[in-house]
Amino acid sequence: MHGVTPEDHMAPGPAGAAPALLTPAHGEGPWRLAARRLGRNRIALAFLGLFALIVVFCLAAPLWANEVAHTGPNDTHTLKKVEVNGEKRDVVTPAGSPLGPQWFAAGGKFFLGADGRLGRDEMVRLMYGGRTSLFIAFVSGLITTLIAAALGLLAGYYRGWVDPVISRSLDVLWAFPVLLLASALGLTLAVGGLNLFGLHVPSGSIWIPILIIGVVMVPYMARPIRGEVLSLREKEFAEAAVAQGAGGFRIMFSELLPNLWSTIIVFFALNIANNMLLESALSFLNVGVQPPNSSWGTMIAKGNDLITSAPLLTIIPGTMILLTVLSLNVFGDGLRDALDPRSKVRLEAHAGVAEPEGAPV
Amino acid sequence: MAAVVAVLAVAAVAAIGLVACGSSGAAGSGKEGGTLNVTYASFPDYLDPQLSYTQEGWTAMYDTYLPLLTYKHASGAEGSEVVPALAKELPKVSNGGKTYTLFLRKGLKYSNGQPVKASDFPYSVERMFKLNSPGSTFYTTIVGAEKFAETKSGGISGIKTDDKTGEIVINLTQRRGTFTNELGLLFIALVPSGTPMRNLTDNPPPATGPYMITNSERGRAWTYARNPAWAATNAKLIPEVPSGYMDKIDVNVVRNDATQVNEVERGKTDWMQNPPPPDLYSKVKEKYEGTQLRVEPTVSVYYFWMNMQKPPFNDLKVRQAVNYAINSEAFERIYSGQLRALHQILPPGMPGHEEYDLYPYNMAKAKQLIKEANPTDRNITVWGDDEPENAEAAAYYQDILTKLGFNAKLKEISADSYTQVIGNQSTPDLDTGWFDWFEDYPHPNDYFQPLLSGESIQPTGNANFSMTDIPALNAEIAALGEEQLGPEQEAGYAALDKEFMEQAPWAPYGTRTVTTFVSSAIDLDGVIYNPTFAQDLTSFQFK
Repeated sequence: MHGVTPEDHMAPGPAGAAPALLTPAHGEGPWRLAARRLGRNRIALAFLGLFALIVVFCLAAPLWANEVAHTGPNDTHTLKKVEVNGEKRDVVTPAGSPLGPQWFAAGGKFFLGADGRLGRDEMVRLMYGGRTSLFIAFVSGLITTLIAAALGLLAGYYRGWVDPVISRSLDVLWAFPVLLLASALGLTLAVGGLNLFGLHVPSGSIWIPILIIGVVMVPYMARPIRGEVLSLREKEFAEAAVAQGAGGFRIMFSELLPNLWSTIIVFFALNIANNMLLESALSFLNVGVQPPNSSWGTMIAKGNDLITSAPLLTIIPGTMILLTVLSLNVFGDGLRDALDPRSKVRLEAHAGVAEPEGAPV
Repeated sequence: MAAVVAVLAVAAVAAIGLVACGSSGAAGSGKEGGTLNVTYASFPDYLDPQLSYTQEGWTAMYDTYLPLLTYKHASGAEGSEVVPALAKELPKVSNGGKTYTLFLRKGLKYSNGQPVKASDFPYSVERMFKLNSPGSTFYTTIVGAEKFAETKSGGISGIKTDDKTGEIVINLTQRRGTFTNELGLLFIALVPSGTPMRNLTDNPPPATGPYMITNSERGRAWTYARNPAWAATNAKLIPEVPSGYMDKIDVNVVRNDATQVNEVERGKTDWMQNPPPPDLYSKVKEKYEGTQLRVEPTVSVYYFWMNMQKPPFNDLKVRQAVNYAINSEAFERIYSGQLRALHQILPPGMPGHEEYDLYPYNMAKAKQLIKEANPTDRNITVWGDDEPENAEAAAYYQDILTKLGFNAKLKEISADSYTQVIGNQSTPDLDTGWFDWFEDYPHPNDYFQPLLSGESIQPTGNANFSMTDIPALNAEIAALGEEQLGPEQEAGYAALDKEFMEQAPWAPYGTRTVTTFVSSAIDLDGVIYNPTFAQDLTSFQFK
């Protein structure tokens, strides 16, 4: 009988492939250790703070709309006038030029000006648009993660015919340029919506871009997960579970999945950033969020019509996307370094940085 | 004798001068010759006369391919006059309005040197049907045309020709008052017999007009040169069509309209076919109007259709309420001043147009009518395309409907497929939406028959989006459509306009203006804007 070493029984942790390496001698848990590492990474924390600020800004949309701007995100004001420093001004001039940023000169109304010839409040739409963009990015990220984790586990653990079927299917999906595939799906579903297995999602619903993004991003997460599962299933703790008579699903969910958490969490954070970019691109191409609802992508598209006379209408939502994606990416990198410090060493090794002698690779 | 010779010489010079002036058309005092540099925002749908059904395509081929009749090369109402082109004179109409007889001018040639024959006319009509051209619908009343459209063989029995005499006789199954206008459309411009039965955009067929297309790179550019046959023979035979001033015309597709404006300002481009972009429009207009820019009215109507066969718009009060809630001033701003208010079906410039407004803006009255109607189904879908101003117009309309108490959802789809989608009755939720209509030819029937007659309702390719089917008004459209247009008929169409607006199948809100924007080198005053074909390439000349 094969002997079971104490190492094989060690609690799986964020280090993934080799739990023992991260388990400290003085008994500190791997998650706490990762939190301590993350706490030392000031840059990652600063960008996490920035992301939190953006989220709070977006969540405050109804408050700003009701208490300050006194208008909804889709309310048009083409023929309205607004009092600016005691003077009545057209929200949209007869020549079709929108009001520029008023900051607080109009009591907070039209803080960033009007969004175009419909005279909607740009600030209100920016806040509501942010909610939409973040919601889509987050929920589609969850969908991607769930599908990718399930497929990655199945393909990596069972191998045999299951692996080629799943892997080749993912390859087919991967073979399409992601934006092209997503916009093609968006165009196809633009009129009749989605009707699948008795599920009906009307066209124009926010769930259409969520599902599209959620599905097209699956290969980008499922393949690395599969690779990691292939490696983990050969480890002693997995063999031990087999020896103890555990079934496939129990091994996958009780033994392998906990070892994948660090990978999944890092991928999830980075995936949200990618989803946000993809949503913006789809909305810019008019196959994402449907008007009159706003998202940062649709705002850039609409602002593009007035790029020469009102460039801020493009620059502001563009900057919001930039800050959100940057904050998520930097934080995601920090998270990866905290959860799997060896990956940083590997990356540095690839980049040609001198590797410390004896460092695990 | 010397005096006689001198007189003859002066007379000869004067005659040559007259021919030159006459053939150039527009009363310009500028230079002959040179190359006109033009930009289009997109490549026309086709550079094949039998196929093109867009303003861009028609402008591009107005001076290249001539039908038997054409529209006078003039601006405004004068440009709506049908004049002979390849035919000697306007058709002789007999047999109670069902037979049209024309004679081809003798000695005409194509740009490849081939003679123009009367039998080329049925060949061109057949080519149009064989290519399934969208223009086919105008000619299905020719005897045998419907059968030919289905079988694509056996010829069209209703067209008889004689190459020796140049006689062309066209028999119709029923009277059609618009047929003279339709004989002037490019769909049936003559091309030589034997021209391939396929889309020839990449290698356009030989021309009969003053210019010929010498090079076509689909999606990018095309070029014109003077048609050698025009100077040699056709110009003298067709005095109604001017010869043009330019020796060469280069057209390039420049998708960024701000770049186009910049190029016109710098003189790199002589004329941009599309208007300046909305956010530059007011600046450009202010700076160049009168010198390099002219605002041109179009014969168009912009409107929202309401599906009369489905709740809530099957209720007259609801449709009237929507009309009262439409404030054209808002739409003028949405279109950056490139739209003029209109609250009726026939736009200015169309025979039969008499201005009136049954529904002046009154939101209180609109809300009162909705209250009276109390529609049970308040969930509606608003359709619009994604062209910036049209999309904003649809979004504004959706907001109006929301203010009237409806749960209105906006569905914005690509302009490329918009007409097909809303013209397909299997598309779900076709409740109400945006559309615009520009004249095919200057006849009011062109507004009523396809857009508002019950006979025009089709499962696919439908243009009667409001699904209007009012038997009494259908009969009026049919009766007026059979008659040749005259003052009495124009009054009839004006009355029909009001009768339809009383039923309010649409909520019209405006008629579009466009611009002619040229470089400082071009004589703006000489440029002709024809109501059907837009800018006339033969009228451009350098100062």
